[in-house]
Amino acid sequence: MVHILDVMEKALEGKPISENDYQLKLFADKVNEKVREHGIKFDRNEVIPSDNSLADDIYRAAVELLVEVGAYCTDTSRIISYSEEEIKGALRNAPKEIWLGEGKERKRLAPRKIEDKSPPWCFLGAGGGACSSDRSFTTLVEGYAEIPEINAITTPALTRVGGMRIRPASPLELLGAMRNAVYAREACNRVGRPGLPLMNSLSTAESDIALAAALHPRYGIRASDGFLICCMDPMKVDFNRLNKVTVVLSMGAPIGTCFGPLMGGYSGGPESTAVSNVAHHLMGVLTYQSSWLLPFPLHLRYVSSSSREMLWIISVTGQAISRNTDLISLNLNYTSAGPTTPMCLFETSASVTAAVVSGLSIESVGVASNKEEDRTTPVEPRISAEVAHAVAGMKRSDANGMVNELLSKYESKLASPPLGKTLFECWDPERRRPSPEYQKVIRKFKKDMAEIGLDLRPEP
Amino acid sequence: MGKDDAITELRSAVLEYDSDAAVRAAKAAIRQKIDPMIMVDEALVPAINEVGDKFEKMEIFLPDLMLAADAVKASMALILPLMAKDYQTSKATVVVATVQGDVHEIGKNIIASMLMARGFNVIDMGVDVKTTLLIDEAKKSRAKIICASALMSSTMGSQKDIIDYATALGDRKRYAILVGGGPTSREWADEIKADGWGKDANGAIKLADKFSGRR
Repeated sequence: MVHILDVMEKALEGKPISENDYQLKLFADKVNEKVREHGIKFDRNEVIPSDNSLADDIYRAAVELLVEVGAYCTDTSRIISYSEEEIKGALRNAPKEIWLGEGKERKRLAPRKIEDKSPPWCFLGAGGGACSSDRSFTTLVEGYAEIPEINAITTPALTRVGGMRIRPASPLELLGAMRNAVYAREACNRVGRPGLPLMNSLSTAESDIALAAALHPRYGIRASDGFLICCMDPMKVDFNRLNKVTVVLSMGAPIGTCFGPLMGGYSGGPESTAVSNVAHHLMGVLTYQSSWLLPFPLHLRYVSSSSREMLWIISVTGQAISRNTDLISLNLNYTSAGPTTPMCLFETSASVTAAVVSGLSIESVGVASNKEEDRTTPVEPRISAEVAHAVAGMKRSDANGMVNELLSKYESKLASPPLGKTLFECWDPERRRPSPEYQKVIRKFKKDMAEIGLDLRPEP
Repeated sequence: MGKDDAITELRSAVLEYDSDAAVRAAKAAIRQKIDPMIMVDEALVPAINEVGDKFEKMEIFLPDLMLAADAVKASMALILPLMAKDYQTSKATVVVATVQGDVHEIGKNIIASMLMARGFNVIDMGVDVKTTLLIDEAKKSRAKIICASALMSSTMGSQKDIIDYATALGDRKRYAILVGGGPTSREWADEIKADGWGKDANGAIKLADKFSGRR
């Protein structure tokens, strides 16, 4: 069993190498070599493949990749190596379930199987997207907490405190992280769901000190929340992140590692990005001591996860993990388009379907690439959750047909997507519902979904 | 090996992302007394432009782009001392960095490689670069352009710090300060009085071209 002290020992004693050589010469070469060795091929027409052997090949390639390249510590400029036995031991010892939340919101999060009929865990909200004010933060979280299918909240991130833009590892970031905790909990209280877990608790805390500062009990964060720690691409870690790991371990709380291999970046094309994505799962359990994993592979150019290649990567990753491990994995999706656009809703439907039928749960959703402040509403994660529940149990071949139909509605617009409206332009915080214009878009979207075979909850 | 072969080998080395081969080819070309300007204009520039175009179309990926840029850099280290002193080998010097407090490097690496591919002299300062060091380097290297990348909403403020610091030193007009990165926007660039906002790598290159000859 690899513990945090073992990780540190490896980070201090591993083979020295420059960061550039690790990622350009070692990682990039090796991931492509593994794709070639295992004959892994992306098929544009089968974005949700039904071929189990493809998933198993990707898994095997990922194990070999991790054994042969290891993780990389940027603070010591050394490789953190793992043997195959250590990987197998970590997988054996990884939790087979975790319980999150309090009171009636306390729920079991467990791994899913391919074409599983059980509804996925719905971790809903902004995916750490930026929001400009305390008002937009609480409006969003209140809206998320009222989504019927919600199991956990993913809060936005505050960008300002006291009118000042947050600076990294400064008192502003610490105060922002404290506010993040207080406002999120208060928003859940206001809608009568105080026990909902905040699974990305403290998204405003990028630095270790901000995370630690906001964990004081007076701010309301609990060990039954989730704690996301983001990995640097590809398979890198630093002391800031290992400090976060150490702090959360000391609370006895479950750590989630998030990682977003970029297709077109160090991981290369779709096949090698899929292998990298699976390898990050295994690396996260070891290096980041994770109990659950959160992949969010993104397209380098579109900064979203709804293109044909990305849907394939989501699907084969889910299938590889689900068939070969008992790891708990939730895919976070990003859309290119923004609120009030049909495209945004079609994109999130496609990504969520690819994840759910392939054995994953979901975090949803980063809207309009999560680039702009307040360009997100409670509608988009609500639609994601409705789709996620509706497609649970769907056959992969049927899902492939549906997703291809969805792609035909937006694929040509990915390079120049409509950004739609911002929060208060299309969401009424007093009446807790979308604007009449957005309601019309949602009704039309649901009609279109019914026409391609997926009935969603009728809109009021 | 003829002169044409030497130029072809140098070009091929860049297209094959091979620094060692680029150095060997450059040495061979130098031994044959090929005009260094021909090495640059007929081998390196067309090759790196081709690589940049392929990257834009996603026919190749980031590691290839960076390795090709490394190959150009390695061969230029041999070729540059042989060039006439008044020969303008690059469009301008650009200092590229990810801002203080931010360790995300992919966007910065893409910009650095694309700028190099388009003929700029690029000084890549890495990630989490202290504001004062960034401006000091720009001053020391007589840069015309500073490209400051930030990927986190919590680190965008460091872009404003760069502009404020340059202004406080009385050096603001010496540099075009361009900002970019995930959470940034044209409005943000306007708010902090940056000279431009690169929506993506192409946008940044266009801006760098625009400001290359101005200061």
